[in-house]
Amino acid sequence: MAEIIDVCPVAELPPGERRLVEWEDLEIGVFNCGGNLYAIEDRCSHDDGPLAEGEFDPEHCTVECPRHGSLFDLRTGKPKTLPAYVPVDTFAVIIEDETIKLEVE
Amino acid sequence: MAVTENEALAAINADYEQRYGFHDAENYLYKAPKGLNREIVEKISEFKSEPQWMREFRLKALDHFLARPQPTWGSPLLAEVDYDDIHYFVRASEKPGRSWDDVPEDVKRTFDRLGIPEAERKFLAGVGAQYESEVVYHQVREDLEKQGVIFLDMDSGLREHEDIVREHFATVIPPNDNKLAALNSAVWSGGSFVYVPEGVHVEMPLQAYFRINTENMGQFERTLIIAEPGSYVHYVEGCTAPTYSSNSLHSAVVELIAKPGARIRYTTVQNWSTNVFNLVTKRAVAHEDATVEWVDCNLGSRLTMKYPSVYLMGERAHGEILSIAFAGKGQHQDAGGKIIHVAPNTTSNIFAKSISKDGGRGSYRGLLEIAKGAHGARSKVVCDALLLDEHSRSDTYPTIRISEDDVNVGHEATVSKVGEDQLFYLMSHGIPEDEASKLIVNGFIEPITKELPMEYAVEMNRLIELQMEGSIG
Repeated sequence: MAEIIDVCPVAELPPGERRLVEWEDLEIGVFNCGGNLYAIEDRCSHDDGPLAEGEFDPEHCTVECPRHGSLFDLRTGKPKTLPAYVPVDTFAVIIEDETIKLEVE
Repeated sequence: MAVTENEALAAINADYEQRYGFHDAENYLYKAPKGLNREIVEKISEFKSEPQWMREFRLKALDHFLARPQPTWGSPLLAEVDYDDIHYFVRASEKPGRSWDDVPEDVKRTFDRLGIPEAERKFLAGVGAQYESEVVYHQVREDLEKQGVIFLDMDSGLREHEDIVREHFATVIPPNDNKLAALNSAVWSGGSFVYVPEGVHVEMPLQAYFRINTENMGQFERTLIIAEPGSYVHYVEGCTAPTYSSNSLHSAVVELIAKPGARIRYTTVQNWSTNVFNLVTKRAVAHEDATVEWVDCNLGSRLTMKYPSVYLMGERAHGEILSIAFAGKGQHQDAGGKIIHVAPNTTSNIFAKSISKDGGRGSYRGLLEIAKGAHGARSKVVCDALLLDEHSRSDTYPTIRISEDDVNVGHEATVSKVGEDQLFYLMSHGIPEDEASKLIVNGFIEPITKELPMEYAVEMNRLIELQMEGSIG
């Protein structure tokens, strides 16, 4: 059953910035790529290490896993380079009342 | 009469010295001081007049390298690697020659002695010869060039085909994959860039030969092979170095991309001298209906850690790894392979053989992974070890991870000793003991040598025979 959670006011996540949120046992990274917002699970599909703290490239909308360097497309969650080959989970981002929200389940 | 162990060892060294262990006087255009820092990395990039993105790529990789600890798994010999005691860049000639006449005289003499120009005339479609950090000679047959086949040293590849390189470079092995890949990404120089257009079959092998000459040298070649849909290429590499008492480091990164229906075969005959640490990352991607084969023969080096891998990303892709390791006195060959089945109905074989003698250590380290969704995958892993005496050691570290139900996986492993009964049987037919022992070893590795191009199979058998000289004391 889907649930909507609050992340932060829109003004607090300008382009080029990111934020980590927790919901139950999930950790989610929310990224602002030039005004478009994307959210992925903060867990690399290669070896389960944290992903969202890696190098964020807002121009190409990617994040690089800090452990082994797999590059993930934030729009789709798909890895663009090895060693990861499984996409990470993505979450729908909603903006309501000037607040960034995520749809999780 | 049987030769004693010591005599046999002396014979091995004498021959390596004569055939490969010699070194030339150093008439270099540039030799970096020992050690690695930002300045050296920037200097390499500047020497090569690289685009800004590659310079940034190198510097970022350097940060990764410096931030990562030395791996503690694999081999205790890794602790002997001293990254501050290595020359990271040595330039022997101005630019790669297209004719052997353009190659500096003493360097040309070296390759003459190693038989490369002769081999090129006889049975190769193209040759690259790397001496220290850079490629000194590069040539590809004209008819292949006309069909659009690109076979260049990696530096020229980046210069002349920047778009293709940028699209594929480091997508298979990112700089942060591991400490040694980060090191290579920071200081890479030389190696091959191969591009085979759609549907083109390169019938004869392309060959690269890597030679280290300087003491305490680090060689960091970078190879990228792209086979477009339906194409075929066989790339062969060989390597040797002079015998020094101090250590050298060879750390390559090799990336293969086989697009739908393409086939890439990559053969290595590694015969570094026993002062070389050989720490290499090799990885391939096979798309739908593509095939990648690694034929990996490790004879030389002090320590080799190398596990060629294939990611089977497209349906019905096939991966094959044939690995031979021969560990003699003071050597540790930690070799093997990895296959990752990502797509359905993919197939693979890993076939590894190791021979240990005179206290040498041969290890098989492998991974077979079948991802969720790769239903119908089939794989067979066979690793066999042969111990020639009681002081030698063999280890097997196979990892198998299966996340799908409908698959077929087989794993077999054997460790054997050259048996008294086998020897007795052969000797009872009038074959002398050392001959009998060679026959047993040749029979053991035959399934792999038969996959080598004929000239290499002959060389391989000769090298094994040489290593086997008088091993029954």
